[in-house]
Amino acid sequence: MSENDYCGHFPIGVSMATMSTAIETIDPMDLKTESGKRRIARMKKEKSLYILMIPGILYFVIFKYLPMWGLTIAFQNFQPILGFLKSEWVGMENFRDFFSSPDFFMIFRNTLVLSLLNIIFYFPMPIVLALLLNEVRQAAFKRAIQTIVYIPHFISIVVVASLTYVLFTTAGGAVNILMERLTGETINFLGSPRWFRPLIIGQTIWKETGYGTIIFLAALAGVDQNLYEAAAIDGAGRFKQLIHITLPSIANVIVILLILRMGQVLDNGFEQIFLMTNALNRNVAEVFNTYVYTVGITQGAFSYSTAVGLFKSVIGVILVLGTNGIAKKFGHSGLY
Amino acid sequence: MRKAVVLLPMVLALVLSCSRDGKAAASAGAEGPYPLSIMVMTISGEPMGDDSPVKKYIEEYTNTSLDIIWVPNTTYEDKMNITFASGDLPTIMVAPKKTSSVINAARNGAFWDITDYLKDYPNLSKANPQVLNNISIDGRVYGVYRARELGRNGISFRRDWLDRVGLDTPETIDDFYQMLRAFTYGDPDGNGKDDTYGMTVTKWTGPWDVMKMWFGAPNEWGEDSTGNLVADFETREYMDALKFFRKLYKEGLVNEDFAMMESSKWQEPYLSGKAGVVVDVADFSTTLQGEFETKLGFEEIVWDVVGSVEGDKGLHNLPFAGGYNGMLVITKNGAKTEEDMKKALAFLDKMNDYEMQIAMMYGLEGVHYTFDENGFYDVSTDKAVKAQYDSAAQMGMGIQGDFRYDPDQPIDRDELVLKRNAVYKSNLDIVVGDPCASFTSDTYAKKGAQLDKIIEDARVQFVVGLIDEAGFNDAVKQWRSQGGDDIKGEYNALYKQYK
Repeated sequence: MSENDYCGHFPIGVSMATMSTAIETIDPMDLKTESGKRRIARMKKEKSLYILMIPGILYFVIFKYLPMWGLTIAFQNFQPILGFLKSEWVGMENFRDFFSSPDFFMIFRNTLVLSLLNIIFYFPMPIVLALLLNEVRQAAFKRAIQTIVYIPHFISIVVVASLTYVLFTTAGGAVNILMERLTGETINFLGSPRWFRPLIIGQTIWKETGYGTIIFLAALAGVDQNLYEAAAIDGAGRFKQLIHITLPSIANVIVILLILRMGQVLDNGFEQIFLMTNALNRNVAEVFNTYVYTVGITQGAFSYSTAVGLFKSVIGVILVLGTNGIAKKFGHSGLY
Repeated sequence: MRKAVVLLPMVLALVLSCSRDGKAAASAGAEGPYPLSIMVMTISGEPMGDDSPVKKYIEEYTNTSLDIIWVPNTTYEDKMNITFASGDLPTIMVAPKKTSSVINAARNGAFWDITDYLKDYPNLSKANPQVLNNISIDGRVYGVYRARELGRNGISFRRDWLDRVGLDTPETIDDFYQMLRAFTYGDPDGNGKDDTYGMTVTKWTGPWDVMKMWFGAPNEWGEDSTGNLVADFETREYMDALKFFRKLYKEGLVNEDFAMMESSKWQEPYLSGKAGVVVDVADFSTTLQGEFETKLGFEEIVWDVVGSVEGDKGLHNLPFAGGYNGMLVITKNGAKTEEDMKKALAFLDKMNDYEMQIAMMYGLEGVHYTFDENGFYDVSTDKAVKAQYDSAAQMGMGIQGDFRYDPDQPIDRDELVLKRNAVYKSNLDIVVGDPCASFTSDTYAKKGAQLDKIIEDARVQFVVGLIDEAGFNDAVKQWRSQGGDDIKGEYNALYKQYK
């Protein structure tokens, strides 16, 4: 899922950008004030465009909106055997159970901490790498580096987790052998609550940094070269150019990606965390997604886990709207 | 977005359940082979295929046409829950444990109540009443259990290592401890290097559960001094066992990474000659001996097995899962009428016939096995040949007992196999039953798995020294306040009612 999601919001970012440029050609005020008749006439004229939209609309209706009816089981005591229609309605009971359970605080904290660490440590990484790559003048070298740093993205997270295990295990893992030679002691990286978060963030950085640069490199390619020339004439060095031209030019892209990421603050990857969890680090490892899986699929408490998932989504929407509003206040264009 | 993982199957369930009704007509054929779908687990990647002659033989014998849905053992419960949600259930499926979803499904009428039908079938009527009691839900029987040796747990160890370090077969907990120590620090493989340790444990908590019994802790629930039931982890004996485990871990007698180790890798340290003791089913010894012979070329018997070791409270052992490993239930969705259900039951009954048991275990004579000059089964070791009946035994029940333990059967019995069978038998005198095995607690059905996890995690954390006794007691308090006290109350009420 995590890879799909990542690929998922990449086209959204692009389509948003193209959409906003498309809309600029028509004055939005025109659309609002035009009369019904004129609108129908215009729609007729642009019929082929609307037909082109149909598959996309169908996709969203069938795969995104219809499944939302399933959310109603969050308010039921859903028994698969009785089905959707015969299961008993229980109102907010599942939510009450969740909020009053001691698990709630633990999961909320774990999820938030992991996401914040992700934003602080992982999010700037692709930007930094993209900026570095951008400064590389030799095209062949730059392309080679780009290709190499993309590779980890295509390695399955299951393999990454196994690699981590092999490297960090106390039973003959390379890292611990090295640690023992140097310090005489081994550290149980995999089975200690303290090391869980660094390992997860480290994996993410290792795996996704290279691929994450794509969107920033694209933005960097669009920066007007004349600006650099002008700056050079004014006596700005490479670093000053970076601060005063490059960064402001891609600030919008950074803000949009940050907004999109805020929507996923409660949405840490499932497989990665699931694979790295064990009895010793569960206190810091259990997050919304793994909890929904454990409770919903493994224990068959469908209603309860749907309630948990729904709560998570509501918070996600609030965060996206909130961040978008703040971005607009600070003069960036935001998502919409 | 990720909740789609959970929601999508449910929506599919809705769609599927609407489209299903047309299908039932297909089963109306009067005398032809009766079509049956059956969902069972497989522990290998290549279970018996549709073109297998063994499958054809089973179909002919039982007059059915089988659609077998193989599910990997490790994800069986997930798949089962999703299948429930899909509303498209096979005629027969394995319910591996009495989990909350199985209990809820039974209560909501997903399975046929077969309590009153069993007596009409020659094999099923001989089912063990005690085990039937253990599998019952609210006092009714919803499936045919898959019988397992009750006294199956034991301690397997390297006999050659034990001889080299000069110790005798362990009889007490202290002997066991000395064995682990000698295997760790006494160079049991005689290569002059410090490259061995005592016992391998994995993520799976089974071995700890067995060992706690040696200390006299109850099996899940036991009576306290006032006659009320308490959970095993609330007892003094359990804490003694935990402290013992902690000592083993601290002294490096078990593998340091056990909490992270997948149980699928359990055999590796033994095959690579790193560890020499395993606490689990006694047949681990024969399995490992077999692996040593085929993979490592050993000729002499190097593994040995005992049932249990004695502690201050006497000699005890954990019975193997109440004498059964899951049950085969008949679903109302798959068997629409009483007639259908009876046909499915007749199939299950026939699968208990001797001929079927042989076919599932050894395949067909002349194809998968022959008889050697001593009249023993000579089973082909060819992988492709074996694959033709791989995992078929998962459909077996062995209601009349497992023929492999019948001394009159023509099965090659080396010294170790005989020893193992003796362990099975002697264990019957020392296994301690779970007084609540047949009870159903509503609270446990609702949040049992989460509550179990609290204790399981705390136990591992205590063993590796992450928490101390006070920390473990906090976990027990947490368990009690989150529903443990309710479970205890419900079980105690039932216990007094049935005592």
